[in-house]
Amino acid sequence: MHTFIHDPIDVTVSFSQNKILPKLMRWNERDYKIETVNLVHTTKEGNKRVFYFSVSDLTNYFKLKLDPEHLEWYLVELYTDG
Amino acid sequence: MDNRIYIHIDMNSYFASVEQQANPFLRGKAIAITGKREDDQEQTRSIVTTASIEAKMLGVKTAMSTWEAKRLCPSLILYPGDPEKYADITRRFNAIFQEFTHKVDEFSVDESFLDVTEEAGDYLGATFIAQAIRTRLKEECGERITASIGIGPNKLMAKLIGESVKPNGLTVIYPHELLAFIDTCKLEDLCGIGPRMSERLRELGLFTFKQIRECDLKRLQKEFNSYGTWLYESAHGRENTTIHSSVQNSSFTSNHNFQTYEQPKSVGHSYTLPHDTHDPLEIKRYLLTLSDKVAWRLRRDGLLARRVKAFVRYGDFSGVEQQRLFQEPTADGYNLFQNAWMILKRLYNPEQAVRLVGISVSELSCGPGQSSLFKKEQKMSSVLSALDQIQYRYGEQGWTRAVLLNTKLKSRSSGFHFDHEL
Repeated sequence: MHTFIHDPIDVTVSFSQNKILPKLMRWNERDYKIETVNLVHTTKEGNKRVFYFSVSDLTNYFKLKLDPEHLEWYLVELYTDG
Repeated sequence: MDNRIYIHIDMNSYFASVEQQANPFLRGKAIAITGKREDDQEQTRSIVTTASIEAKMLGVKTAMSTWEAKRLCPSLILYPGDPEKYADITRRFNAIFQEFTHKVDEFSVDESFLDVTEEAGDYLGATFIAQAIRTRLKEECGERITASIGIGPNKLMAKLIGESVKPNGLTVIYPHELLAFIDTCKLEDLCGIGPRMSERLRELGLFTFKQIRECDLKRLQKEFNSYGTWLYESAHGRENTTIHSSVQNSSFTSNHNFQTYEQPKSVGHSYTLPHDTHDPLEIKRYLLTLSDKVAWRLRRDGLLARRVKAFVRYGDFSGVEQQRLFQEPTADGYNLFQNAWMILKRLYNPEQAVRLVGISVSELSCGPGQSSLFKKEQKMSSVLSALDQIQYRYGEQGWTRAVLLNTKLKSRSSGFHFDHEL
């Protein structure tokens, strides 16, 4: 099941070797432990560069958006296997 | 021109591989990336822009309609394309290629040619470069995003060579092996010989490259004009296009980092509607949206247009089009729309449901137009300038006309460019 959303979320991250890695995500009052960061890409919204993290836990794929101008995180895509 | 060494790099099942890299639950599965990004899970009006390696093995092909692909492979996962993601990865791998040579030619969103003659020295050096590129691709893009690499004496042959081993091949053909290699290929394998041309060649009794080589050049030229010369040269493994250094051509900076800039001859957009429609209001809204997109590109690039062409395609895939020249060149979306609608309302048959709407402008000139004597037009010019500032700052979602609030164009993935970068 592939869903497009745009929900604000809380994300715990680590900063390591000049990289930012999401570790934990809180959405709908539930915590999701991020197992792997599969791909990071950026896009432009006008002049602003935003970051997307394609991450997964054991059963879900999440696409997270980081707006660096406002330091806000959003869950923009959810894919659940099966 | 002689003794040059070219590398052709073609990303394997590109869009599908990027999605399989991003989403591990798609790995090892037959997936098809669809043309438009939409919420409709069935995606019945879309096409397959890329099939994963697994889907290709089950017969799913690029440009197949989604319903046909699903009929062929019921377990196929239709996955909406994400052009902005692909564009970022395309930039990333072309930046890697630039680490090895400044002579990089971006052939399409997933294919590039590299002239490594000076950097490599010989074919062994070129093979080392190819291996190093492969390692860098894995580091920067992920292990799922693989490429087929061909090394040969010119671009045409490097592409033919690279495409002989897919996926994830690395194939080197030395100049002395070239003719023997060409003779193992089918005519349609060569970029530039499509199914219809291949059929025409067969009708002339030319089934192989060897037969084309042995054919009289004059006969080929009589039959195909300059294309006949190209065929003859290609059958000998010869081609004479070159890649210029992007360092020398770096005066133009844009999203297309490594390409030289040429002023376009026309600017246009077309759009397949979410459903076939008889409703003139709906057609007008899409036409206005497309006109605004075209006008924005004109203003952004400092261009004005004097000719507009409007076209529609009906549900049965037949279509009509007409163009019109106007007195004053313009880059105003509403102005373009009025001219385009003037064409369409006389031209299109309201009895037939419309499937696709399009607008294209040409007769382009540079620079600001003459400022109008009329106050209303002067004001509109100021408004457009302010709207452009908003669009530069916030992107194309920055503003819209009230009448178009419910008319959204869905972003598309295609093989030669990304809509959002146009």
